[in-house]
Amino acid sequence: MQLGLLFADELRGFYKSKVMIFLWIGMPLIAVLFRFISVETSGQDIPFTLVSTVVVSSLAGTLAAVMLAVFIINEKNRRVYDLFLIRPLKRREIILAKFLAVYLCVAIASFIAVVTGIMVDYVTIGSMSMAALADAGTSLATSLSMIAVSCSAGVLIGVFSPTVLVGAILVIYGGNQVSVIPLVPTMLNLPQATVFTIVLAGALAGVLLAVAVALFERQQF
Amino acid sequence: MEFNHPNPDKFVSLKNLTKRFGNFQALSDISLDIREGEIFGYIGPNGAGKTTTIKILVGLISNFQGEVSIGGYQLPQRKEEAHKLLGYLPQNVAFQEWRTINQALRTFGKLSGLIDTQVEEKIPQVLELLGLLEVRHKKITQLSGGMNQKVGLAQALLHEPKLLVLDEPLGGLDPYSRYQFKEIIRKLRQKGTTIIFSSHILSDVQDVADRIGIINRGRIKKIGTLDDLKARFKTKKTVEVLLVSKTEKLHGLSKIKNATGVDQLSPSKVLVNLEANADEAQAVFDIAEYIVKLKIPIRGINVLEPSLDQIYLNYVQEEEK
Repeated sequence: MQLGLLFADELRGFYKSKVMIFLWIGMPLIAVLFRFISVETSGQDIPFTLVSTVVVSSLAGTLAAVMLAVFIINEKNRRVYDLFLIRPLKRREIILAKFLAVYLCVAIASFIAVVTGIMVDYVTIGSMSMAALADAGTSLATSLSMIAVSCSAGVLIGVFSPTVLVGAILVIYGGNQVSVIPLVPTMLNLPQATVFTIVLAGALAGVLLAVAVALFERQQF
Repeated sequence: MEFNHPNPDKFVSLKNLTKRFGNFQALSDISLDIREGEIFGYIGPNGAGKTTTIKILVGLISNFQGEVSIGGYQLPQRKEEAHKLLGYLPQNVAFQEWRTINQALRTFGKLSGLIDTQVEEKIPQVLELLGLLEVRHKKITQLSGGMNQKVGLAQALLHEPKLLVLDEPLGGLDPYSRYQFKEIIRKLRQKGTTIIFSSHILSDVQDVADRIGIINRGRIKKIGTLDDLKARFKTKKTVEVLLVSKTEKLHGLSKIKNATGVDQLSPSKVLVNLEANADEAQAVFDIAEYIVKLKIPIRGINVLEPSLDQIYLNYVQEEEK
């Protein structure tokens, strides 16, 4: 089982290539900037926590999917995988390690952005209600669910796309739409919508990843 | 590393190997056995099927017809066991750009089954062998093509594989690095490593290979030692005469028995070309007799062995006919 080694290796790669720094510092910063651009809606103050969660969910999902697709296509086309595939490991471990590493990085970035939101709100408003915190938690769970779907769509697109350009177009126009599917229970105002969203996102991400793994297993290098 | 193969004469075995890419027949019914501990040179023109054979052997292509085994383990069914015996240097080796040499080797060492202490012990040894120890913390992106190739060889050697597959390993290397590579390959043979060495630089193959296989249009044309190939693809024999100074008198050598012509290569070197079936000893005697008779001062007479290039050229000409 080489998944742990490959996962740690991918994280090291993100750290070395500065992707992690951009995610963990850049995304909260973008969220803070967003606060100053759109501080009021219809005359109502919106807690920054909510703003940052919305920003993170829309940005991070796209970013994660594009990152995954571009990494996989690039590495596939440069024949980086040859040296992995001739070793005693399972092909699926390469794909899963990449998915988990990107998902973890983006999830941490989302968490940092939301915590930054809470801190900004606490400083500017002076207090945070439990309801606002609960809303932030729900939004974060929803964001992470959508990001999981985006990431798995990014992996799938990365596996079958021949070029980075095709991959990027497919992620932006396709991956994003797929990641909205878990929001259907919320849109339909179903009871326990968040739980349904998480379950639906988990199932959808699982299916997309399974297809990606099956394709990668069959690919001839 | 433990392995179990029934027959050391078939450490690597390909049987009726066939592969198509769409309408293109890349390999047709290839059968080939490679002995344990030998260096097998695999040559052929571009697009002949060398890389396809190698990719099947190392498991990058699993969709093929026929039987392939390494150390007795059938591919693709027993791929994991077979891969434990394998080291591979691809034609264009590529690493993730964020890696340093050290990080790349650590990862590939561990993926090949080495534990932490073995990795720490092996990396400096292999880097020292390849002259890369000083630059082990350099990023891969900062390396020249030749150094990158050396890192490629380092990752292939790290876990001391039983089978080393080298696909065009000397491309892009300077003459000293080529010499180093060939020395390493020879040392590995002494240790019992089986090596498959594919190249279109025939002199490199000739320098190291115990046996040579010629492939063209997806079919194995001939397998044998250099002497076998010389016998099969009859080559012209050549005698070299080294002169003290330039003379026109040697053109008369074209009249000796079985001579086909004389080439003045330089003021001090003349080549006498002989029929493929000429008796070399008799030819040297006739040439010496002629020189003595005309009292031409010389520095030496040598019989030149046909190179793999000449053999290969003969083979290609034969194919074209």
